[in-house]
Amino acid sequence: MSAEAIAIVAAAQTPSYRAYNNTEPALIMRVVNEILSETKLDRHDIDFTIAGSCDYLSGLPFAFVANVDGFGAWPPVYESHVEMDGAFALFEAWVRLSVGDLDFALVAGSGKSSPGTPREIFPLQTDPYYGAPLGLDPVSTAGLQGRALIDAGRASERDFAEVVSRSRRDGMSNPHAQVTADVSADFLLDEPYYAAPLRRHDLPPISDGAAAVLLARGDRARELTDNPVWIRGIDHRIESNQLGLRDLATSVSTRLAAESLGLKSGPVDVAELCVRYSPEEIVLRQALELGDETRINPSGGPLCGHPVMATGLVRVIEVAQRIRAGDARRGVAHAASGPALQQNLLCVLEGEN
Amino acid sequence: MAERCAVVGIGQTKYSRRRGDLSINGLVREAALRALEDAQLGFADIDAIVIGKAPDALEGVMMPELSLCDSLGAIGKPIHRVHTAGSVGASTAISAATMVESGLFGTVLTLGYEKQSDGNATWALGGGRSGSQGAGGSFAPWIRNYITRSGAPEHIGWKVAVKDRKNGLLNPYAHLHLEDISIEKVKESPMLWDPLHFLESCPSSDGAAAMVLTNEAGARRAPHPPAWVLAHAKRTEFTQFPGRDTVKPAAGVECAKALYRKAGITDPRRQIDCAELYVPFSWYEPMWLEGHLLCEEGEGWKLTDEGVTERSGSFPVNMSGGVLSSNPIGASGMIRCLEAANQVRGTAGDYQVDGARVALGHAYGGAANYFAMWLVSTDKEPSFQ
Amino acid sequence: MSQLPPVTYDIEYPYTRTTGPVVGAFLTALRDGRILASRCGDRVICPPVESDPETGESIPVDLVEVGPMGTIQNWTWIEEPSSKHPFQQPFAFALVLLDGADTPICHAVRASGMEAMSTGMRVRAQWREERASAITDVYFVPEADAEEQYVAPGEGEVELTEHLISLSFQEDLQPHRERYSRGLLEGRFVGQRSPASGKVYIPSKGYDPIERVLMSESDDVDLPHTGTVVSYTIITPVQYYGQKETEPYIRASILLDGADQPLGQQDIREIAPEDFRAGLRVRAIFRSEAERSVEGMDNRWGSTGNVVERWEPTGEPDVPFAEISEHAY
Repeated sequence: MSAEAIAIVAAAQTPSYRAYNNTEPALIMRVVNEILSETKLDRHDIDFTIAGSCDYLSGLPFAFVANVDGFGAWPPVYESHVEMDGAFALFEAWVRLSVGDLDFALVAGSGKSSPGTPREIFPLQTDPYYGAPLGLDPVSTAGLQGRALIDAGRASERDFAEVVSRSRRDGMSNPHAQVTADVSADFLLDEPYYAAPLRRHDLPPISDGAAAVLLARGDRARELTDNPVWIRGIDHRIESNQLGLRDLATSVSTRLAAESLGLKSGPVDVAELCVRYSPEEIVLRQALELGDETRINPSGGPLCGHPVMATGLVRVIEVAQRIRAGDARRGVAHAASGPALQQNLLCVLEGEN
Repeated sequence: MAERCAVVGIGQTKYSRRRGDLSINGLVREAALRALEDAQLGFADIDAIVIGKAPDALEGVMMPELSLCDSLGAIGKPIHRVHTAGSVGASTAISAATMVESGLFGTVLTLGYEKQSDGNATWALGGGRSGSQGAGGSFAPWIRNYITRSGAPEHIGWKVAVKDRKNGLLNPYAHLHLEDISIEKVKESPMLWDPLHFLESCPSSDGAAAMVLTNEAGARRAPHPPAWVLAHAKRTEFTQFPGRDTVKPAAGVECAKALYRKAGITDPRRQIDCAELYVPFSWYEPMWLEGHLLCEEGEGWKLTDEGVTERSGSFPVNMSGGVLSSNPIGASGMIRCLEAANQVRGTAGDYQVDGARVALGHAYGGAANYFAMWLVSTDKEPSFQ
Repeated sequence: MSQLPPVTYDIEYPYTRTTGPVVGAFLTALRDGRILASRCGDRVICPPVESDPETGESIPVDLVEVGPMGTIQNWTWIEEPSSKHPFQQPFAFALVLLDGADTPICHAVRASGMEAMSTGMRVRAQWREERASAITDVYFVPEADAEEQYVAPGEGEVELTEHLISLSFQEDLQPHRERYSRGLLEGRFVGQRSPASGKVYIPSKGYDPIERVLMSESDDVDLPHTGTVVSYTIITPVQYYGQKETEPYIRASILLDGADQPLGQQDIREIAPEDFRAGLRVRAIFRSEAERSVEGMDNRWGSTGNVVERWEPTGEPDVPFAEISEHAY
């Protein structure tokens, strides 16, 4: 898939809060203002804006309408919204800039999970006839995914604990992280089961937060920053809504996206994966064929902070920032939607050189 | 633009208060399969899918792309979901068109739907609480302000209600087929939100609408004449702020300006042959004629009154019966875009406008703060004089 | 000063889903004690599907009976069920490959404990005594725990399945809303003046969206109890689940003197519709201090809680519409 050269030129994220005692538009306004002030752009220099959020998190139909307050719409703006993670908004912004007639796009993702009970809301993502009335929740489907890995001989409970131990330690150096700890896998394995084979620590925290990125096309990107991070491609793929029709120990959709993006055509220095449940890291590593040369989730990942609807976009920001800082030259960010990694998005990023 | 986008397949369900014969999956498939059949393509020919619908709470299904992907032949493909309130159907079509224009995707299936009868839109519009004012309750004061500002006589709303229902009689997919609609009936129907009567308001419908969009190579292979997407535009403003013009929102004006500029249109009412405007409440016909620069301010109601917007008029509006005849919310904007395409493809059946070559599809949503519009043409490069 | 109680709200609706031919036949059979699957190519898929799940191609409705015995292919033990789960004691979600099917169904297994579960174990379907034409009519138990059941067939074909979705939410009043609510309890209208534009918002959202600034307590301003009706709707209530209104009433936006944004959604019950109009001057009549309550106040809607008893005309001349048109929303 070829594309016009489009780069991330600025990015911002709020910390992950257990409960942010203010509005979602305020969260968005903070990150958008940070980007505007960093780039010295006026709101109306931005040609296209797109946001990702989810009405159901706050239980309020049309909740997304208020979010327009956060990213600014007076005078009127060219704007759209996906009821998906901000990473899917990024996909649409990248597609839009690829047309070649616009220069700047602003992408936001935001969510406040704290008022509700995600484990009771998210079953509504499953089949409305066969799944939702069972209350089939993401923790349970993650449990099934964990068991599938164990039964397939691809992972052990210790592997899950190692993912958690490493992630929560890495999170200690991430100022946006919400839950971090210096804990060993042995310590974690002594904890009781929650959704066996998973323990509570295999789950992400409940978080509020927002993230935003600014994209620019071609030379406009170079004018704004000395180190643009180029988007080499974004692809996303989906699998069946029936769990019984999927092999939960692998991620066919992730592999398809990686192949179409040519991920293996070069080294992958860093990968930020949307690992909300520890078994997901194992599934994704194997699907992406990532080896020891790839640093995985140096931010600590969603296990340290899971601002739903921004979580995927935060992965993109974390990879971009490592590239900007010179710690990596090429990396991949991953976002996911649906139970047990049903839908997966990959974004391949590279530095200027 | 890297690529041009063409509509090569159109599919609609029969709209009705309740499609009791179908699941949500069955509903979306009815439209998708008809669009594919029109394009003589199969799911295997589709590179990506974009769906749109209004809030998840209307059906109580969160992120429905996750449960509908199997039914839409999306397994192993990109599928994403747009949500921009009432304008979503048109926004979704525009997102899909953009995917083709980017050159990144060859052929895209786009679909909007609502299974309103599974839930209750008034409940959802009121945030799930008692005392919902409904969409009509939000718009009624602005309609009153339009009437005051323009001096329009009260029968204008009734006239639009009758015209669109009469047009709907010619559309086999329309939800309402009110054989005996009349000015008297509209005027005597209960007052829901002063000045809006029951028959001046849209119905609540189940339904889905789909299009197959493709690039120039795909258009060359298409079995039927395509509708070329000349231009599209979207604009959004805040729902509430001091100085907001709720009668003629600036976002609507700027959306139209951007659209016409992109298409090279300088005299829209003359250069565009007909329009499918999002008119869920009768008075929005004259309001959008003015709000989208299709006439001077204060003149919209006169066009309606003079019959200019009738099918036989010089600027027909809502030939298909419009939102007043069918309102599956998430699909309603897509239906406007698709009916515009029907006109320029010559496939509008009994409500075809003779010689239509350029048509406008339009939707608005939220507190009339979201706008999405597209222009389609029989000709890939029409020249406007 | 003590914190006002948190905001709680429920979103509840009994969705009625029409099933179409395949889900309908499945739920009909389930109600009657049988489990159906789809024949799709050379596979038997359970629960049944309306189309080929891999390609999206249409398939004929060709349903075959499977089960009631099956094999556990995968399971997770739920120690602490959520209120939406089929069991309120620990249970398993499992992928159950029913005898005769090629693909497993995801469903609930009731077992004595996690130790009783294993991949490869045999389970049997059990039916609820009270069936509701829903996927929850059935569940599974280890073979040894299964009881023989007589399931009396129901009447007619299932064409609808109901799902009561009920979600509860709770959050603190946000700081600007807390101060606004506290002001109401004290008989004051507390708004916020944008430090960037000087415009006054009530109730404030805690920011000025136009100037893109977040506001704080130092931006709070008191507003008078008098104002002008700038916009209103006469609502004829439509009946729906949870609707309490039955009679037509007015909902108005009232621009307090000195404010730039009207207080929205003010219920007007004491002024007759024919006497109500934009431009009308009104005054808020507060309840006595003891009667005031902000129960039900939340972070979103333009409520004045149970504090303003009514709005009454001041008797002043109307304000010409031109003077308020900027605020008529």
